Amino acid sequence: MRLYSLSVLYKGDAKAVLLKAAYDVSSFSFFQRSSVQEFMTFTSQLIVERSSKGSRASVKEQEYLCHVYVRNDSLAGVVIADSEYPSRVAFTLLEKVLDEFSKQVDRIDWPVGSPDTIQFAGLDGHLSRYQNPREADPMTKVQAELDETKIILHNTMESLLERGEKLDDLVSKSEVLGIQSKAFYKTEVYFLTDSVNGRRTK
Amino acid sequence: MLDSRTKPGNTPNEPGTSLRDRKKELILSGTLNPIKDLHLGKLALTKFPKSPETWIHRRWVLQQLIQETSLPSFVTKGNLGISPAEGTQQLIREEMEVCGEAAGRYPSNYNAWSHRIWVLQHLAKLDVKILLDELSSTKHWASMHVSDHSGFHYRQFLLKSLVSQTVTDGSVLEQNTLRSEPAIVLPKDEEAVASAEESRINLPHLLEEEVEFSTDLIDSYPGHETLWCHRRHVFYLQHHLNGRFPHSVVQLSPADSPGGTLSDLHLIPAGPHTSQAMEVDGLSDSSKQGYSQETKRLKRTPAPDSLGLEMEHRFIDQVLSTCRNVEQARFANAYRKWLVTLSQ
Repeated sequence: MRLYSLSVLYKGDAKAVLLKAAYDVSSFSFFQRSSVQEFMTFTSQLIVERSSKGSRASVKEQEYLCHVYVRNDSLAGVVIADSEYPSRVAFTLLEKVLDEFSKQVDRIDWPVGSPDTIQFAGLDGHLSRYQNPREADPMTKVQAELDETKIILHNTMESLLERGEKLDDLVSKSEVLGIQSKAFYKTEVYFLTDSVNGRRTK
Repeated sequence: MLDSRTKPGNTPNEPGTSLRDRKKELILSGTLNPIKDLHLGKLALTKFPKSPETWIHRRWVLQQLIQETSLPSFVTKGNLGISPAEGTQQLIREEMEVCGEAAGRYPSNYNAWSHRIWVLQHLAKLDVKILLDELSSTKHWASMHVSDHSGFHYRQFLLKSLVSQTVTDGSVLEQNTLRSEPAIVLPKDEEAVASAEESRINLPHLLEEEVEFSTDLIDSYPGHETLWCHRRHVFYLQHHLNGRFPHSVVQLSPADSPGGTLSDLHLIPAGPHTSQAMEVDGLSDSSKQGYSQETKRLKRTPAPDSLGLEMEHRFIDQVLSTCRNVEQARFANAYRKWLVTLSQ
């Protein structure tokens, strides 16, 4: 079970702004890594844009699960994990990270921030510590208040989109994805396969 | 010594057969160092962790090494340079590592895990100490790969092997080990008891630990069928051990008897990674036996002890009352149904 990325974003009126992110792409082959990272950023932003304030959701895409929490104050977090990683712990992590972030970074900086301008150092440490869910979060500390039935489940990325919207179009228009990544998308499946997950489906 | 013909480019496109045959020739003639070949195979597996050809060839090389007579003696002596027993231990350790790495590179890597089993059967001869080591050393990995069916199947194999090597004699358990003297324990002979103490394992305790492990994982990681499957196996072994089925051993090959087999009990969902004997290559007759070394006909027996059953039912109740995961509830209910079948 593993975590691949942890991002903090701001859900603006028009789009989602990436504030800070941490990645673990070590299980991907060397040449895929930068594209994978770009796709994770792209996906995180898209998910936040299509989720309402005050909601939690898990979006399944092949072997991956993207967990998102958008707070009422528009601060949002996305964790991209594999299908073994327990979602309960993922949401605990998101809650914790956003809480810390909101205390360390002034609200006024959120709508116009970027990873370069935002001062928040904790993400890499959290990502690495939470790779082992039981060490990071012994079950006794799991939030009892979190009502898992309120978490929306999406079986594909597609179900987040509006009617008529196509993921292909969003990919080609994206400013986050480089040319190589876009080319990969056309020929490969949505998420490049990592050497651990191995399988490709489309 | 190594030229392009001997490079283990075990890619799917290569004319595998002729290259493999060529390598075999070179090994048998003493030109290609088998240890080096194994090392190159290890590298190949980092890129192609499933590659059947690589694993098959690996077993052939290992077989040559342990037979020794088929290889020019300078090859084996030069390689191992130590006692044959130590050499074998080294080979075993290395193979465990190679399998572990390959298992981490591809989910439910059946080829890697079945190779691991083959090594335990043919190189380690199911030595009890090694089985116990493997059980403890793979525990953490299993807990981090809760949907890896092959990984848990491996643990089931280890437990079954330990069970099948245990002969009950009243309250005393003895096991076969690689030692030349059988570890027979006479309760009155204290010295014998002391020396046999090390080779004695507490099977009920081991199985109980595995149940706790299963409980812990099922609670922490809801909704993984592999974990529930594993629990069935362990529960079954426990009750087998409780003397309900005194001298019969877990029937593992569903191909056998029409009635009273594990498949009848729907122990495992149908699929490639089932209780089929892990017939790896059909290379040697002992590999054909594989699992079936330990199998006998499962007799119709009285129900598993009700205390054990009761605890399991309580566990299911606890899971169902606290879980919010739909799959988890489904698996818990299926497990309940299976338990009911057992007592029929």
